[in-house]
Amino acid sequence: MQIEIQYNPAHSLATVHLNAGESIRAEASAMVSMTRDIDVQTNAGHSAGGGILGGLRRAVVGGESFFQNLYTARRNGAHVSLAPRLCGSMVVHDLDPSVDLFIQGSSYVAAPDSVHIDTKFQGFKAFFSGESVFFLKASGRGPVLMNAFGALETRELNGELILDTGHLVAFTAGIEYAIGKASAGWIASYLSGEGLVLRLRGRGRLWIQSRNPNEFGSAVGGLLPSRKG
Amino acid sequence: MKYEILDSPDFAMLQLVLDAGDEVVAESGAMVAKDTQIEITTNMRGGLLSAAKRKLLGGESLFQNTFTSRAAGQRLYLSAAAEGDLKARQLGPGESLFLQSGAYVAHSGGGLVIDTKFGGLKSFFSGVGFFMLRIQGPGVVFYGSYGALHEVDVGPEGYTVDTAHIVAFTEGLNYTVRAFGGFKGLFFSGEGLVCDFSGNGKVWIQTRNAAGLAAFLHPFRPVETKGN
Amino acid sequence: MNHRVEHGPSFAWLKVGLAEGEQIQAEAGAMVSRDPQVEMSTHLNAGQGAGFWRVFVAFLVALARKFLGGETMFVNRFRSSGPGEVILAPALSGQIIHKQLDTTSKLFVQTGSYLASTGQVDTRVRFTGLRSLLGGEGLVLLECTGQGDLWVNSYGGVLPLEVNGAFTVDTGHIVAFDGSLDFKVKSVGGMKSLFLSGEGLVCEFSGRGVVYIQSRNLKALVGWLSRLLPA
Repeated sequence: MQIEIQYNPAHSLATVHLNAGESIRAEASAMVSMTRDIDVQTNAGHSAGGGILGGLRRAVVGGESFFQNLYTARRNGAHVSLAPRLCGSMVVHDLDPSVDLFIQGSSYVAAPDSVHIDTKFQGFKAFFSGESVFFLKASGRGPVLMNAFGALETRELNGELILDTGHLVAFTAGIEYAIGKASAGWIASYLSGEGLVLRLRGRGRLWIQSRNPNEFGSAVGGLLPSRKG
Repeated sequence: MKYEILDSPDFAMLQLVLDAGDEVVAESGAMVAKDTQIEITTNMRGGLLSAAKRKLLGGESLFQNTFTSRAAGQRLYLSAAAEGDLKARQLGPGESLFLQSGAYVAHSGGGLVIDTKFGGLKSFFSGVGFFMLRIQGPGVVFYGSYGALHEVDVGPEGYTVDTAHIVAFTEGLNYTVRAFGGFKGLFFSGEGLVCDFSGNGKVWIQTRNAAGLAAFLHPFRPVETKGN
Repeated sequence: MNHRVEHGPSFAWLKVGLAEGEQIQAEAGAMVSRDPQVEMSTHLNAGQGAGFWRVFVAFLVALARKFLGGETMFVNRFRSSGPGEVILAPALSGQIIHKQLDTTSKLFVQTGSYLASTGQVDTRVRFTGLRSLLGGEGLVLLECTGQGDLWVNSYGGVLPLEVNGAFTVDTGHIVAFDGSLDFKVKSVGGMKSLFLSGEGLVCEFSGRGVVYIQSRNLKALVGWLSRLLPA
């Protein structure tokens, strides 16, 4: 399996080249195009409870389903091209069994089944903004394809950092996190526009995206015609 | 008339330099800036009846603007609404290009024909939003994408593309639209449909799609209240 | 203080290294990350040295805009108690440009394009009419004067254009322009065009100076998407 990423940092497209018999599991809505010699198995969720998870996640993140497709190549030279919903970059992290990876819910795109995906639902909903945090845990071995809204920065953390939650893509085990309000009070946090922040501490790798999907959503969504409930 | 595409592929913008008498027709809302000797007239596209019919189909505005230059060296800047790339395609007499309607930005050349009234291609998108245009030369058409424009050469082994990601393709390709694997997106507009291409030709794919963006933004929309 | 714009031109962010006691001000919501020794406090952007009346008016306007849509005018001030870094980014994709202001120059910035400023840069809100005050059409501008650094962001790419005589720009595509330019907001081509052309309002510049144009427009994006939306 080879994952090729083009058009970073703004309009990334990930083309997964598969050999005969190889598979990759990806969100159904991420498929852009593919060669004809790929078998597609639909509605196959990572780990148990894909359906329940889907409902939960949609309630939390909003508008995002968690239905996965399994793409299997019948022949060498087959490929499937994937892209996330928002503009930005994609990156592949080669997962090692000794270090787990925590991925922010909407940043996960695809991985083979040698990578085990678990949900670690945070459920912290900010009082005013409705913002919430949702993590997936990836363990095992293999390439994990992640997306970033905007440009992606990789940082080796050794110490402490306060990060706006909407800018988090992923971090490796070894980094501890605490979720809190941006300012001392709820009203100040609301007016500051920052909402929830993460206090990260420890040693490990951190992926940060240069744009915040919630801020983008608020900026544009507020101008769209209203919806029925 | 001269043109140049700036900032490709991230936020492409079209820069035109028009001389006296040059004319460019553009989609409503595409103008960024212009020199003062360029006049704008607004018309309904193709007459009242066909415009009304097209408005019902959605995905296209009723009106278009004609920019006419009254002097030499007048600059006109146009851009597409979505974040992405922009391309120009010169079409010879009788040469055709199939173009997704939401991708159309502008065109020049009085002989260019934009046709929407043919069957077969209506099935491309599940009923709402965009539809396919057939553009026939001579003339030049400017079109934009949401995301980058990825060119694929299709050969006899064929290629499958999610219909929401199709921007344009050349005449002569065979195409079959079908449902994709039982997945029903949260919203319609092309999610769940794919097109199997075969034959010989080119397909231009965009690396993002408008339905995905609309689905992402849906929870951020204001909620309707009585009297809204 | 040292500063650097990274990840431009599409998804630029501003990385600022603060020394002990140094401060930078940024629009609400712009913070990406900060070192723990950098503190954040939220203020109403009423401009430098504002008296009670100006603060009161600014507060009313801010409330109006918060409910009717538009820039909120709350800003965050970041101050460090030791060497520390803060990263700032706007909500939309695009570029960030840095301008050094001095007492001889003036820059008008569309409020949505203001990102951050330091030093003695003063920002005063200027409305081009009642409709723009309430978040409708028209330009809401920040008049920036004083000595210090100013950062503005564009939606899409940014094109600095030298005006030498006259030039017309769709209001949604203006990032900022030199105070030396004269400007007039009007509809693009008569009554029919006002409602039908989709161009909305334009700004006619005259004189000499630079206008910074952005290649994308939030209203155009909204118009394009609105046709696809389910109820």
